[in-house]
Amino acid sequence: MYELINVDKRFPGVHALKAVDFKVNRGEIVGLVGENGAGKSTLMKVIYGSYQPDGGDITIDGTKVRFQNPRQAMDHGIGMVFQEQSLITNLTVMENIFLGFEQQFVSFGVINWRKMADAARAQLAKVKLDIDPSTKTSQLSFAQRQLVELAKVLTLEERIDGDLVILLDEPTSVLASEEVELLFQIVRDLTSRASFIFVSHRMEEVLELSDRIYVMKDGEVVDVVEHDKADKESIQHKMVGREVDKEYYREQKQKPYDGDRVLLSVDGLGFAGRFADVSFDLHAGEVLCLVGTEGSGREAILRTVFGIDRPDTGSVTVKDQKITRFSAQNGVTMGIGYLPRERKVEGIVAGMNVYENMTLSQMGNYASAGILRIGEERALAEDQVARLSIKTPDIFKDCGGLSGGNQQKVVLAKWRSGGSEILLMDHPTRGLDIGAKEDVYDMIREMSDEGVGIILVADTLEEAIGLSHNIIVLKDGEVQKRFTGAPGSKPSLYDLVHHMI
Amino acid sequence: MSFIKKHVEQATLNRRNFLLASIAGAGSLALPMSARPAFAADGPTIAWSYRNRTNPYWNAIVSGGGRFVESLGMSADDLVHLLNEGSSEKSLADVKALLSKTGGNLALGIDTNDAPNARPVVEACQAAGGYVTTIWNKTADLHPWDFGDNYVAHISWSDTKPAEEVANILIDAMGGSGGIVGLGGIPSNNPAIERRQGLDNAMAANGNTELLDYQAADWDTQKAAEIMSSYLTRFGDDIKGVFCANDTMAFGAVEALRAEGLAGQVPVVGYDGTAQAAEYIKSGEMQATCYTDPPWAGGVACSLAYHAAIGTFKPSEEPKGHREFYGPALVVSKADVDQFVADHIDGTPEVDWTDFWGPTTPAA
Amino acid sequence: MQGFMTRETLLKWAPVLVLIFLLLVFPIFEMTNAWAKGKEHIYLLDSRFLSIRNLARIAISATPALMVALGVTFIILMGSIDLSMEGTVSVTAVGFAYAFLWLGGTLASWAWLAIPLALLIGAAIGLINGIVHVKLRIPSFMASLAMGFVGTGFALLLTGGDRVRVEDPLFRALLTVRWMNFPIMVYVAAAFLLLMWFIQTRTKLGRNFYAVGGGEELAAASGLNVNRVRILGFMLAGICYGMGGLMAVGKIGIAETVTGANFMFISITAVVVGGTALWGGIGGVLNTLVGVLIVFVINNGMVVIGLPSYIQSAVLGILVIVAVVLSTDRRSVSFVK
Repeated sequence: MYELINVDKRFPGVHALKAVDFKVNRGEIVGLVGENGAGKSTLMKVIYGSYQPDGGDITIDGTKVRFQNPRQAMDHGIGMVFQEQSLITNLTVMENIFLGFEQQFVSFGVINWRKMADAARAQLAKVKLDIDPSTKTSQLSFAQRQLVELAKVLTLEERIDGDLVILLDEPTSVLASEEVELLFQIVRDLTSRASFIFVSHRMEEVLELSDRIYVMKDGEVVDVVEHDKADKESIQHKMVGREVDKEYYREQKQKPYDGDRVLLSVDGLGFAGRFADVSFDLHAGEVLCLVGTEGSGREAILRTVFGIDRPDTGSVTVKDQKITRFSAQNGVTMGIGYLPRERKVEGIVAGMNVYENMTLSQMGNYASAGILRIGEERALAEDQVARLSIKTPDIFKDCGGLSGGNQQKVVLAKWRSGGSEILLMDHPTRGLDIGAKEDVYDMIREMSDEGVGIILVADTLEEAIGLSHNIIVLKDGEVQKRFTGAPGSKPSLYDLVHHMI
Repeated sequence: MSFIKKHVEQATLNRRNFLLASIAGAGSLALPMSARPAFAADGPTIAWSYRNRTNPYWNAIVSGGGRFVESLGMSADDLVHLLNEGSSEKSLADVKALLSKTGGNLALGIDTNDAPNARPVVEACQAAGGYVTTIWNKTADLHPWDFGDNYVAHISWSDTKPAEEVANILIDAMGGSGGIVGLGGIPSNNPAIERRQGLDNAMAANGNTELLDYQAADWDTQKAAEIMSSYLTRFGDDIKGVFCANDTMAFGAVEALRAEGLAGQVPVVGYDGTAQAAEYIKSGEMQATCYTDPPWAGGVACSLAYHAAIGTFKPSEEPKGHREFYGPALVVSKADVDQFVADHIDGTPEVDWTDFWGPTTPAA
Repeated sequence: MQGFMTRETLLKWAPVLVLIFLLLVFPIFEMTNAWAKGKEHIYLLDSRFLSIRNLARIAISATPALMVALGVTFIILMGSIDLSMEGTVSVTAVGFAYAFLWLGGTLASWAWLAIPLALLIGAAIGLINGIVHVKLRIPSFMASLAMGFVGTGFALLLTGGDRVRVEDPLFRALLTVRWMNFPIMVYVAAAFLLLMWFIQTRTKLGRNFYAVGGGEELAAASGLNVNRVRILGFMLAGICYGMGGLMAVGKIGIAETVTGANFMFISITAVVVGGTALWGGIGGVLNTLVGVLIVFVINNGMVVIGLPSYIQSAVLGILVIVAVVLSTDRRSVSFVK
């Protein structure tokens, strides 16, 4: 039905798509996997009309088409559900659904809201979402927004003749697992109405949902696998061109922590509406994972321990010193480092170079009377770049131009070189490709060996299980269960999920 | 010199106190209500309505009103100040309020903020039986003689002729020939247009001069200094004279010349007759300015209305030239600057406030 | 990535290229003007515009605005905006003039104390700006705009609408005494620029400006006291405005309520034209120097080639838009508010 034949796309210095053949049949769910930079997003942009191919053809039912922009692609039935949610949060659900297509509800220059609400309800029914269409989008959960987004794309059904192809770009990245399951169920039901192209970092999900899987590497489609013959390890092998061994999470490097040295002690900590009565100790060399669904309080606990938020109840004690002043500044002084989830927002300053980013949290160590000793800063950065093998042409490079993995290394270098003994990591591997993830895992192990205590909110449950000495399962802001995870006796996925939901 | 300083300080202090008072809540509208003028039982209340007290020009105008009131044996504080703060509506409302408070027994000098506002103000005065003299703003079709005795007179200034005289002094100082650069006011302002016209007239009468360039410096000292220094680059020694449409811009031109060590070597003229200009004329850094005697106009405006009110003269029997006329314009140059300073800056000239039309020229 | 003339390199040097272009283009008009009058004229060699004397004139004109623009540079680097410069310049100028006259009226007496006093007044206004902005959580443009009006009003209150003259020959030597063709005020400005450059590149404070402008949340998460940095930034800007006020008085010998007028447009224009990004984090004081020079070269050059002054404002307005367009990667910003 929808087909790309021999499609080529070049950017200055990059051959992004090399003679790609790609096909979607009616009612099919096609998976698309590949490492960062393999060409997935370029391919998607070609499909929905944001890029125009340099060579090859796009055909729909055998007819050649050419899209100048996404609007034209939409007119041919190609819809896109974006990774960063594209809903405007201060508009209502129905306004979002019909954004740009309000004309159909206008009579005498005035929008007939009731008519729009009815139409919106019909769209929401397609995705089995039972909410008032006049709800402000900001009041919806992320999962609900994802469904609204899907409903919005499904309006194409009424607008155009012919078949629909809907691209789902990382639709599950902000969803908890039960929400993912719900989304998948809806997508499967919708195959009577549309075909889907499903793009995700999460291999398991792609395997579960897709009828066929396209595997991309370096701008080429290296394999097309049918659902029944799909095998995670072989696909990963093709994606990365190397075997991902069972020791992915560096379990063999996990050493017992020093149970006598308590770095951080949290007692009865509570923050209204986020979490309540949370207590734990963090020891030197320990990796402690907080596990739970989105909104279970994991991130809020990290923020409070760091000092960004002030708790309502309970206490935080760092190295036998009870914290009375809650501020990020105080957290840093106490030797706590924080790797936020939004690396671009809270991790590195784009526009500042490598050494400036590295000393950002510890400028006091590199200044006398407010005047910086830049020579020492540079020496530090050179040293860290070499030790962590940060890939940068030089230490004067703008950090915004580094890859995600190298940015993360700069952030880690910042905290470690500043002498932080406690590191709070919020999704440190989010958005990194497999190679970069492994680097981060190595670094976590090395820091543990050096006696650093780490509280981790992991990107996946496997990651949490693989990396941690101890696991705390949270649900609705309360501690449900604690697990210990020495190599060989780690809890299973099921153990955790059981307490999460 | 020291007298000027003292005078300026004194005047500034008064104004500062006034501003502080208005901050403290004694606003302009409150004044006519609270200040109980100590008038002779049946004498009319004397008032001035104008923009605000932060402008040196209006301060000068109203100081004349104060002197007139003093000449009647009262305190200058007995002059009622109505401040319109740039609002025609407030201007009219304040006048109406004062008319009703005084029962029409009012002698008013006023600038109505804009020309269309003059008619309702004059009509209000006529209806209440008050007497009014307007200054600067009125529409061309509004004439005192159409309102019997109540609209006593209208005073304005025509700058064309005096500016021509100032320009002639400049051309004389240049030795009768050479290039002139000009610094104009905001192009749409009437005085800016008339003063430029004066320069053009003077140059037309003298064929040996050339206007090198004439640009608007918007009455602003700093902008004038910048344009002047650019002129120096463009025309260099070809600049034999500098015509400025007012004194503040002339100061900018003098500073630009001073930066090059040329102050006093290139003739500069201004307009407005400020004390600083007088000093520069004495020191040779400027050649001429023109003094329009605002205190005289401010005083005589009150005097005309007052004497019409008490019946000293009957306005409707006066010729039109006594009802609409141009205020005085005193051209000041090196020859008469000492006299000017003695009369108008160090001292206050003795004025016969009943000599209403002495230094004026008829406008109608 | 590789290659000599990348987009980034070009953008970085664009303001300097514009300045050089302007310096070379005005003499062309001069030459054609001369030819039209049948005079001999050799390009550049006979140019009055490119003469040392005229460059000195441009430098004198630009000096007060440069001081003000340096101050607002730091604020814009932090991603905020400061609109208090007009009021602050007026207040510092008038405050300086009164203090100077009251303390003796010549630099040879205790009146020199009026100079640090003016800078202190500037810093105090900046401090209030910063505190109002940070502690009351009022957007910086609103807080500073309001403070600017307060400043203008206060200057009016001090002067009652009068002009205060500073005639001390020692102070006026800023303008009247020249070393190597340039008046002293130009060297003072250069020294001040150097100091600001040092603060920008070599101090914690300067680094913090970039961190706050590049990512405020991040700066906070790295343990920076962002509020303190902001307040210090506004104070530093206030000191710069104070310098601007001093230079303005030095230039024309008069302090008045309108001394600060026009500085808002010129300084922000200069900062933007110089290549400092309005959303913070990119640029610096050397960009601002180039921006100020561009603005004043245009002002001067337009008069020198005989274009009417009202065209200057239009040209500057267009230049601002072009500068912002050039310096923005439009592909990364799909919507602009």
